[in-house]
Amino acid sequence: MGIICGLGCGTQAVYDALRAGKPAIGTVRHLRTSHTELPVSEVAVSNEEMIEMLHLPSDRVVTRTPLLGMVAFQQALRQSGLTDSVRTAFVNGTTVGGMEKSEQYYLEFFEGKHTEYIAAHDCGAGTEQIGRLFGHLDAMYTISTACSSATNALIMGANLIKSGKADAAIVGGTESLSKFHLNGFNSLMILDHEPCKPFDKNRNGLNLGEGAAYLVIETAESAQKRGATPLCELSGYANACDAYHQTATSPEGEGPFLAMTGALNKAGLKPADIDYINAHGTGTGNNDLCESVAIKRVFGEYVPPFSSTKSFTGHTTSAAGAVEAVISILSLTNGFIPANLNFSSAIEESGLIPVTKGVGDVELRHVMSNSFGFGGNDSSCIFSKIS
Amino acid sequence: MAVYIQSAAQITIQSPLCDDWFTSPIRREGRYFRSVEPDFKAFIDPMASRRMGRLLKRAIASAMTALDGYEAPLDAIVTGTGLGCIETTEKFLNAMLRDGEQALPPSFFMQSTHNTIGSVIAQRLKCHGYNNTFTHRGTSFDCALQDALAQFELNDISSALVCANDEMTEAYFQLFDQIGYWKAEEVTEAMFHHPTTEGSFAGEVSAAFLLNTQPTQQTFCRIEGLEVLFEPTDERFRQAVEALLGKADISREEVDAVVCGYNADRTNDEVYTRRLMPLFPQTTQIYYKHLFGEGFSASAMGYYVAATCLKRGEIPAHIRFKEGKTAQPKHILVYNHFQDKDHSIALLSC
Amino acid sequence: MNELISTLKQEIIEVLNLEGMTPDGIDDNAPLFNGGDPSVAGLGLDSIDALELIVLMERNYGIKLKNASEGKEIFKSVATMADYISKNRTK
Repeated sequence: MGIICGLGCGTQAVYDALRAGKPAIGTVRHLRTSHTELPVSEVAVSNEEMIEMLHLPSDRVVTRTPLLGMVAFQQALRQSGLTDSVRTAFVNGTTVGGMEKSEQYYLEFFEGKHTEYIAAHDCGAGTEQIGRLFGHLDAMYTISTACSSATNALIMGANLIKSGKADAAIVGGTESLSKFHLNGFNSLMILDHEPCKPFDKNRNGLNLGEGAAYLVIETAESAQKRGATPLCELSGYANACDAYHQTATSPEGEGPFLAMTGALNKAGLKPADIDYINAHGTGTGNNDLCESVAIKRVFGEYVPPFSSTKSFTGHTTSAAGAVEAVISILSLTNGFIPANLNFSSAIEESGLIPVTKGVGDVELRHVMSNSFGFGGNDSSCIFSKIS
Repeated sequence: MAVYIQSAAQITIQSPLCDDWFTSPIRREGRYFRSVEPDFKAFIDPMASRRMGRLLKRAIASAMTALDGYEAPLDAIVTGTGLGCIETTEKFLNAMLRDGEQALPPSFFMQSTHNTIGSVIAQRLKCHGYNNTFTHRGTSFDCALQDALAQFELNDISSALVCANDEMTEAYFQLFDQIGYWKAEEVTEAMFHHPTTEGSFAGEVSAAFLLNTQPTQQTFCRIEGLEVLFEPTDERFRQAVEALLGKADISREEVDAVVCGYNADRTNDEVYTRRLMPLFPQTTQIYYKHLFGEGFSASAMGYYVAATCLKRGEIPAHIRFKEGKTAQPKHILVYNHFQDKDHSIALLSC
Repeated sequence: MNELISTLKQEIIEVLNLEGMTPDGIDDNAPLFNGGDPSVAGLGLDSIDALELIVLMERNYGIKLKNASEGKEIFKSVATMADYISKNRTK
């Protein structure tokens, strides 16, 4: 697996920051916006630095979203040792696409300037640029379901493999900050002007983040054949739709409930088998309440330890599902539950208290990761230790 | 498990929500056409649609038409869209560039995410099932279909609504014009048969298909399989075709026609000939983009046309691109590619 | 005040795209939001409409709300909204 986000580049850097309890929520440096008052979790490196890291020609027409993707994609390939000797599909989740450049050059496009970025705008364009770092891909897919895009990419990849349409898949998502999305979320009045406080009674919204993460998935047989050692098992996953409202989750958290129970059913697990939930926990009034309600519906009296690591990484939107999948797997393999920062008092209606300080040396067998998107596109997945 | 296309509905630059295109098509010769819209009031009340751009209304109207009379539960809604609701995306972008980063309209932002289409359909149907959206340029619909088919194969679902939705705004038409997507001159039907330049003409597509596993009297056809490929070698392409035919247990000679995405662009069209001639030198070819135009969702109409021909048992003269044998069609391949990068090939049978 | 109320009704219809509704059809005191309860007569607006009304107040009257929840009291009816605007407007 590979990852780049505000916390750093690579799984070790991300793990170290989580372990040290050091969040990466700060002020904008690269994004050109007048909203400097809004905290964000920006990736430290600039586009130019990433172009250099990736040894791309300096005049390469490429936007920030695929650049972040390429960095994480390459790490994932290196760790897995996957080559194109097996039929490999790439399933990428993204929403912003090339917007970071389109919003800069939009008016000039019509005057015939910077037109090379027009074809780089749509989501599929970035997928192709990233995918070309792999020898030869058998197929490419781009998914865009807002904040659950990367989790749905994981689900699609798993289904392609199980149905025999691919032998292996590289799955995940990438998203850069853009003025468009920052202002969009701001227009919905759900951005906190302070570091976000997921699951806190006085939570006040989310902080946007950016990043990318990818996982290489394959069947146990395929891994064995290649002599690769799998990190964990993707034991369950489910996608459901809240079908309630375009931006708000239903009060009873129907979509999140169906996603979590669906994932448990697929894994053949009971709620009590889950040792840690990496929650969606954006920090908005609506999400955290509805997710809490849904968690209580699924887990009843005994809610497992849970936390939202968006208090470290910000909300990396389309990449969040993959960023948090990587964090969940790091938790599982290291026996470490990361903290939910900035929490002080529980939401009255639910009374749920997240893990507020990182806990090490715990035995984790099954970790659940939640990703819920605008439009009620809700997905959950479960990572399990290989028994 | 066998998967059937039970119903299909379209809102395109042909007469909407009907199959007039099959018997009396509207001739489309030009550079840019917008969809012919039905009266949306029959599908959505004005209060519910007050924030919807026209693509959302088309998506709902086509989805509701495809589901007309269908009472059983729906397990999945999978949408393909290359650009999402680009009209509302542009509105938000223009407001931001014009007025600065203050007091921007949230409704436009809300609709700018691609999954708005699939989620609005789900809200309308109160469908809590699987919901996913693919946005992979010219193969967005094909990817969506592949998602549904994989889940049918795994017995995870037994019904699905698979849709394609893209609009082409004036502004986006101009942007694509800047990078050579459209011909400089009006596109005529003759150019499809003898393309000498690059570029096509723009259309818009909203299409919805209801798939399930129980054939009925109304069934259009069976989907034998679909292969989605990235830059396949000729060998990989041949392998994929053989796999499809093998699964259906038919020979190449038994394929009655191949639906191709010819669009009057010389480079685009040459790919179809190059890939197909070695495998299907004598087979009838069908074209459809002369009726529906080009766009990221256009490929969906290839399936629509093939399914309609199978249901009606004929291939009308105005969609025959290349004549082969003229038997009542039983097996039709639908072949589509985007810039010779993403390819998809499906086999439909009745 | 009456003039402000009728201007406001026109603006609301425009901004929220309330097709087929006329200013005369909106009661000054009818609730704008019925909280999803169809038995409550009113316009039946939702949370996104509330955000659009906040934008309307900022654009047309120079009133900036920090928090969406402040809108709850202000947007009870066209009359309460007009009252708030007349007291707080900066343009």
